[in-house]
Amino acid sequence: MAEADGIERSLDGELALYVRALDGADSNAAVDVVTSLLDDGVDALVVMVRIVAAAQRLIGERWQRGEWSVAREHAATGVSMAATGAIGAFVRSIPLTGGKVVIGCAEREWHALPAMVVNYGLRARGWDVTYLGAATSPTRLAAVLQEVGPDATAVSCSVLSSLPSGRGFIEASTGAGIPVVAGGSAFGSDDVRAMALGATAWASTAFDAIEVIPTLPAVVAPAPSLPAEPLAEQRTMELNHHLLATTLRERWERDHCVAECAPHDAEDVEVVVENVVEQVLHALQVALVTGDDRVIDETIGWTAELLRTRGFPSRLLSGLGGLLLRELHEYPLAAGLVEAHWRVPEPLVP
Amino acid sequence: MDRLRGGPDLGGELERAHSTRADAKMNLALDRSAFMDDVSSHLAGSLNVRRITLQLLHMAVPRLGDWAMIALFDGRDAQLTAHDGSGAVVGPVEVQFDDGKPSGLDRIRRVGQTELLHVGFEPDASDALGAMVPDDELRGLAARLRPADVLGVGLNARGVTIGALVVVRGENSGYDEHLRDLVEEFAGRAAVTLDAGRLYEDRVHVASVLQSSLRPPRLPEITGGRVAARYRAAQEDMDIGGDFYDVHGGEDEYSLIVGDVCGKGVHAAVLTGRARQTVRTAAHFDRAPSSILSALNEVLYDEESDRFVTVACASVRPNAETGGLHVRLAVAGHPAPFLLRANGDVEQPEVSGVLSGVLPQLSYEDVELELLPGDQLLFYTDGIYEAKGAQGFFGLERLREMLPQYGGAEPEILCEAVERRVVEHLDGAAHDDMALLALRAGE
Repeated sequence: MAEADGIERSLDGELALYVRALDGADSNAAVDVVTSLLDDGVDALVVMVRIVAAAQRLIGERWQRGEWSVAREHAATGVSMAATGAIGAFVRSIPLTGGKVVIGCAEREWHALPAMVVNYGLRARGWDVTYLGAATSPTRLAAVLQEVGPDATAVSCSVLSSLPSGRGFIEASTGAGIPVVAGGSAFGSDDVRAMALGATAWASTAFDAIEVIPTLPAVVAPAPSLPAEPLAEQRTMELNHHLLATTLRERWERDHCVAECAPHDAEDVEVVVENVVEQVLHALQVALVTGDDRVIDETIGWTAELLRTRGFPSRLLSGLGGLLLRELHEYPLAAGLVEAHWRVPEPLVP
Repeated sequence: MDRLRGGPDLGGELERAHSTRADAKMNLALDRSAFMDDVSSHLAGSLNVRRITLQLLHMAVPRLGDWAMIALFDGRDAQLTAHDGSGAVVGPVEVQFDDGKPSGLDRIRRVGQTELLHVGFEPDASDALGAMVPDDELRGLAARLRPADVLGVGLNARGVTIGALVVVRGENSGYDEHLRDLVEEFAGRAAVTLDAGRLYEDRVHVASVLQSSLRPPRLPEITGGRVAARYRAAQEDMDIGGDFYDVHGGEDEYSLIVGDVCGKGVHAAVLTGRARQTVRTAAHFDRAPSSILSALNEVLYDEESDRFVTVACASVRPNAETGGLHVRLAVAGHPAPFLLRANGDVEQPEVSGVLSGVLPQLSYEDVELELLPGDQLLFYTDGIYEAKGAQGFFGLERLREMLPQYGGAEPEILCEAVERRVVEHLDGAAHDDMALLALRAGE
């Protein structure tokens, strides 16, 4: 991203200082780092991406590797919030010269930072931004769109489970003729999912979003309906998600994981089982509504990697594949996707 | 037709000519009705005047003209928004009508009639355009297209001319009767939609001014601690409801309050406004929570309504010895907050009191708490523990169990985590108003 933002200067020194502030749970030091960059004329968007978001990623990695306790992660997140607040105060002092835009996370999306980055990036460029924050309910979005009448909207989806509700955001926006740009890691690495869901444009990064928004058409047609059959199946899966997930978790744990993972403590098994089952079910839903099957292969790869790093045998994966085929008998399209894509990356041990 | 059959070619020719004309007429009618259907479906999605204006301009060009402008009248002012032919929108530009020099646009405003001006026939070409487009920048955009005809149509709704649609066409493509009819039909549809949008905006304006006084307030910074809050209204589109919180004070003593008015929606929100104001006034005289709650009870009881309020109220002062906060706490029919120690231990202070507004002359009891640096008090309303999802109520037990891992965390993080857990528990189910307020001791 260092090339995309047009900033030649390295911010490594500042990032190191900022990370040290997170380490020491020192809000004042973190705020000092970001405000001195802003005072030097560095773009708020660059500060958000290359300092705040970059450091947040580091924290996440430390937590994943088990290096940091949850309490330490919370303390560091608190420091990030203080720094973000300081950047917010800075951009709000910039005069409004641009159009109006409404930014929010889809329902079920709780990672607010990416949307916040775009929010401050646009605000720093004079846009009048209405920021709806995490997990925007569709009712609230619809009311805000009528009240504000923005030139564009932006929706952020980081987790796969939020992508079907991202469609709701897109429908609300385009239904009122308002162009919508979609972004976030759940959309994948190209525009296929965003286009399938009816977005006007796809943004690969926050910088991209900020460049795309001013070029959107003034008026767009309502997003076309999604293919009826897969949509109906996805809606049913969503409705029965709790039951489906519980059944899969219990059976996978009982019939496969417990026997295979004796050396590991039960808590670890539970965390892996819960995360994998959620991810797989949501990936299937995403494949149904977007027609993008690659999400299943990606999820299998992610699961194999998770099992490997946690020291679980990869044959657990084929066990889950068999379970899915059995439990998804009422969802023929989803079962078909499992049948077509469930390939375990390593040779199987019977 | 039979009689014409003798002539080998002539009959076919006539028949063809006739049917071509009929087809053309039919096609024209079909085309028009398809266009107007399209207009209706595009206009259905918006109640916002600016968005409606953009939609109208988008549909008018190029079907009704090479360039289009919408003027909305407001007394002697007009707001002009135009399309530049390439898809970009210019405006709104504010102009004022000059009584001394009635222009074409002004005539439309007064009588609501259609005016067709031929640029070529006017002594000064810019005059025809000038009469309809009283703004230099917009007129410049229109003039670039070398227009031959300028058509202005009144936007009439409910017997009032609320604005005008101005379209222009270049040479060799003026406005015939058919196109003129279509522009007028389009303007009719446009007027009704814009009028509804204006009405809606007026109402929204009134509502949002009133709402803003009922919305949760911005929290102040307090001495010796930090506060954070979260609010989700049952009616999410309204953003107001029957739960409320407030933090106010100064000179090292602050009052915190979290409450819940019976009922939800607008009526409840109005009562929360009154309760908050009463608390503010009472706190001005005596910050003891028990005194504040007695005063609130008297005021609400005197109103002789059958409505009641539950409240938890705390007053907070820095404790120089511990670096933490000294807290006095009282409740009126409201559950006590959780006290989350920095090390993750969870306690719930023993305190009770009768709900407010139902019985006269109640007195309340203050309990005293010491918050050491990193300790938190978490206030909540029943919308939190009565949130009902597929697995039943969220419950106080689930809330209590999730707290220890947030020991010592920032209050924002605690509030956000609880809100998230509750909303995920709901999993899309409807919910009551929900409010959270967290106070953390230590700078």
